Amino acid sequence: MNRRLLITGLSVLLGTVGLGVLTGSISAGVPGQVSSVADVDPHCAFGSKTAPVTMEVYSDFQCPACKQLFKTTNQLLMDNYVNTGKVYLIHRDFPLPMHAYSRVAASYVRAAAHIGKFDAVEQALFQNQEKWEANGDVKGTVAAALSAADMKKVQALVDGKTLEPLIDKDKQAGQLVPVNQTPTTVFRSKGQTYPYAGVMSYDILKQFLDQLLSQK
Amino acid sequence: MLGGIFIYAGYSKLFLPNQHFWPFFVLKFSLSSNLSTFAFQVDSYKVLPPAGVAFVAHTLPMAEMVLGLLLLIGWRLRVWASLITLILLGFLTVVTRAYLLHMEINCGCFGTPEPLTGMTVLRDSALAALAVLVTVFAFLEARKPHPWTASENA
Repeated sequence: MNRRLLITGLSVLLGTVGLGVLTGSISAGVPGQVSSVADVDPHCAFGSKTAPVTMEVYSDFQCPACKQLFKTTNQLLMDNYVNTGKVYLIHRDFPLPMHAYSRVAASYVRAAAHIGKFDAVEQALFQNQEKWEANGDVKGTVAAALSAADMKKVQALVDGKTLEPLIDKDKQAGQLVPVNQTPTTVFRSKGQTYPYAGVMSYDILKQFLDQLLSQK
Repeated sequence: MLGGIFIYAGYSKLFLPNQHFWPFFVLKFSLSSNLSTFAFQVDSYKVLPPAGVAFVAHTLPMAEMVLGLLLLIGWRLRVWASLITLILLGFLTVVTRAYLLHMEINCGCFGTPEPLTGMTVLRDSALAALAVLVTVFAFLEARKPHPWTASENA
């Protein structure tokens, strides 16, 4: 019986690690000392650049999990950590090819950010995600959140395609992390980098941020 | 094989996609965020109330690992094989329902994102069939005299 247990235990251990390696998941996203944040579009970054913790959120506006993360954490994070100088929050676009409208949505949000309307458009797109995902009307969703004059400016920026390289730069930065799914949040604090994929509740995030902030 | 798949399914929900083990607060955050992601996937099936989603998300990964291990050890095989069969039939039901309703969601079967497709339904069907076979085999074997007992009698 003992021999049987030993063989079973070893098989389980080897099998589990083997499967992890085979699926490529074990080597991904390991915390470590990584260089500082590069290529930040100041229009998509919030809080103090000198904040002790930097959070880069790689997001896709058509991804339901990104919507969930936004809904559960964004406002509280802004109020309690970003606006108080504890966290520097960077929005990174990572539109996934599997989502038909996420690149268009990213273009509109980027343009809105450049006229100071990032929050309004981000909120409108996440709140109405199911609607525009079904009918493809990203433009209409954005227009409903802006005044006619602002929408005109945003549309001009989108049509001019001058901001597209910024989205591409975000994607390239994400591929270096590497971002395998959205949302992926990269925390940087005291020279350490912690990439995390998936959603989290505000309470869990708060505990983690408080720990990072209390580190000496 | 079924036991190994169950162990990996439970392990991957707990330890993937985030695999940070040190220091302790980092490990805690990894586990919590992995379970939050799994809870989100369970919720996306839209079959359970929030309390049910939380219960499944926090108990299923460990239950899968324990059941998989018990199946591999072979102790009280009839009980655990029957339980695994019931769980797999439950999975198959919700996965088939989501597929028929054209829900564009992640399967939540393992820790990494995997869109729910016809292949997911086929795979779950195959696993459920395998579980039924194991259960039937376990019950048939239990009727036979134990080989060690038989040799002692001889």
